[in-house]
Amino acid sequence: MERINNYEQFKKSSSGIKKERESNSSKVIIKIAMATCSIASGAGPVFDLFKDEMPKQPKEFVLIPTGCLGLCHSEPTVEVTLPGSDPVVFGKVDVKRAGLIISDYIMKGKTVDCIIEGN
Amino acid sequence: MKSKQIKIALRNCGHIDPERIEDYISYDGYAALGRCLFEDTPSSVTDKIKQSGLRGRGGGGFPTGKKWELCAASVSDKKYVICNADEGDPGAFMDRSVLEGDPHSVLEAMAICGYCIGADEGYIYIRAEYPLAIKRLKIAIAQAEEAGLLGDRIMGSDFSFKIRLKYGAGAFVCGEETALIKSMEGNRGEPIMKPPYPAQKGYMGKPTNVNNVETFANVAAILNRGAEWFSSIGTEGSKGTKVFALAGKVKNVGLVEVPMGTTLRELIYEIGGGIKSGKKFKAVQSGGPSGGCLTEKHLDTPIDYESLKAAGSMMGSGGMIVMDEDDCMVAVAKFYLEFIVEESCGKCVPCREGNKVLYNILDKITHGKGELSDLDKLKNFGNIIKSTSLCGLGQTAPNPVLSTLDNFYDEYYDHVVNKKCAAKQCRSLITYRIIEENCVGCGACKRVCPAEAISGELKQKHLIDQETCIKCGACIKKCRFNAIVVE
Repeated sequence: MERINNYEQFKKSSSGIKKERESNSSKVIIKIAMATCSIASGAGPVFDLFKDEMPKQPKEFVLIPTGCLGLCHSEPTVEVTLPGSDPVVFGKVDVKRAGLIISDYIMKGKTVDCIIEGN
Repeated sequence: MKSKQIKIALRNCGHIDPERIEDYISYDGYAALGRCLFEDTPSSVTDKIKQSGLRGRGGGGFPTGKKWELCAASVSDKKYVICNADEGDPGAFMDRSVLEGDPHSVLEAMAICGYCIGADEGYIYIRAEYPLAIKRLKIAIAQAEEAGLLGDRIMGSDFSFKIRLKYGAGAFVCGEETALIKSMEGNRGEPIMKPPYPAQKGYMGKPTNVNNVETFANVAAILNRGAEWFSSIGTEGSKGTKVFALAGKVKNVGLVEVPMGTTLRELIYEIGGGIKSGKKFKAVQSGGPSGGCLTEKHLDTPIDYESLKAAGSMMGSGGMIVMDEDDCMVAVAKFYLEFIVEESCGKCVPCREGNKVLYNILDKITHGKGELSDLDKLKNFGNIIKSTSLCGLGQTAPNPVLSTLDNFYDEYYDHVVNKKCAAKQCRSLITYRIIEENCVGCGACKRVCPAEAISGELKQKHLIDQETCIKCGACIKKCRFNAIVVE
């Protein structure tokens, strides 16, 4: 990020960054919890799968590694927000389920059985 | 799990990429710092924190704004801000989650605190056991410095603030602020007498403000949304929310943030989903090794600093361990005491020797060698340790013993008089026995027994030799015919 030299510049830069994030709402937003606990329960390969597979799909997306949502009982967790929909959190996601989330939920809007929050 | 939760300290955790400063800025990050530096004065910012009613989230519950004010009033050429990230309670990981998920919120709040008290340097005292949190903090500090949001002349103002990391070696006592400062100075992590408080004479003898990670994580949100908004959440004396690490025998273990005043029942049953495998709730330990065990009758206690204290426990930093009917309360008290004995720094006699005595009595009781007079001794010694120890660690160390004695006296009585452990946890007080009618002589138990304590020919009734049995329970897990019982 560019160096901020005065307050006006910060306010401008900050609102620019905010607008950029808001423009993401037209894309599929995928958030994967990547805290110590998530990584220990296997979030690494799940993240890699999304990173490898999503570019092959004909949909615009953003993939965000985040901290933890606090849902230890269901790690690894993946939160998907389809454009115009509420976020949905999938729990106990392994590579196989991650594949289903992409092929069924993201591409076709069909429900996948590991939803723990939302819808 | 979402309902009943309000996320303030955890507002960005799970939503932003902690390794990208832009993500934090896109959710009003560093906006509070900017407003403080260019549109506000240190004393007015401190007033806002005071008005919000924010109290220390590390356990003590001291009003944060008041703490800043005291430190600001100390006259000195140099002052320090310290973030206490020495999270050591067994089963607690609130601070780790904040630092791994939203490190900038802590950095921004430390800079704001520095502006308020007149400090230009901050330290985060963090456990070396948190490598990922350390990595993300380092990235966050580097990004913030590069963007001119930390370091020299922040956003072009006259205010400079640098943040460095100091690693702790994982001693529980170093969570106590004076011991933490000693450790930072390169000395043994031992607490010293207060006063002088760190606000007058802290790190390197200079006025120092120490706040916990979660306390800092609330600051920018308060300044962005207003003190009134924050103080509208919670109870009369405890404002805002508290993060808890819900662990133990509850269905939905995890990290939750609830408004102060939420009851233990709501936390355990509605958010936590109740007790695992249909078992019966027995107790909940809040406040870690310094807290106490609360029971069924306390379930409707609202969670706030005063109510938990009145009920015989404490808020603590946010560990919440739920226990069911299979947990033996004497063994639980012994577990916490063992931790304390290990972690006592050894400086003052009541804590060093007294807790060892308590531990030995509990050990005797769990081995079936306790006497009725031991229960009085536990109470007496416990109260002496509480009133004569030097620091918070010793003053609260007997709490798990005293609270379980109060709430589960019958269970202690059962151990010392009837030599029985109802939860079947104390190995010296239980026996494994084979029910002859159910045993088909399959030999599964015999093969799995590590002590070779089980005898019997194939298709014949088997027998456990009580002398050799080490009561590990391997046989009972293996038996498919319900032919083994614990008594």
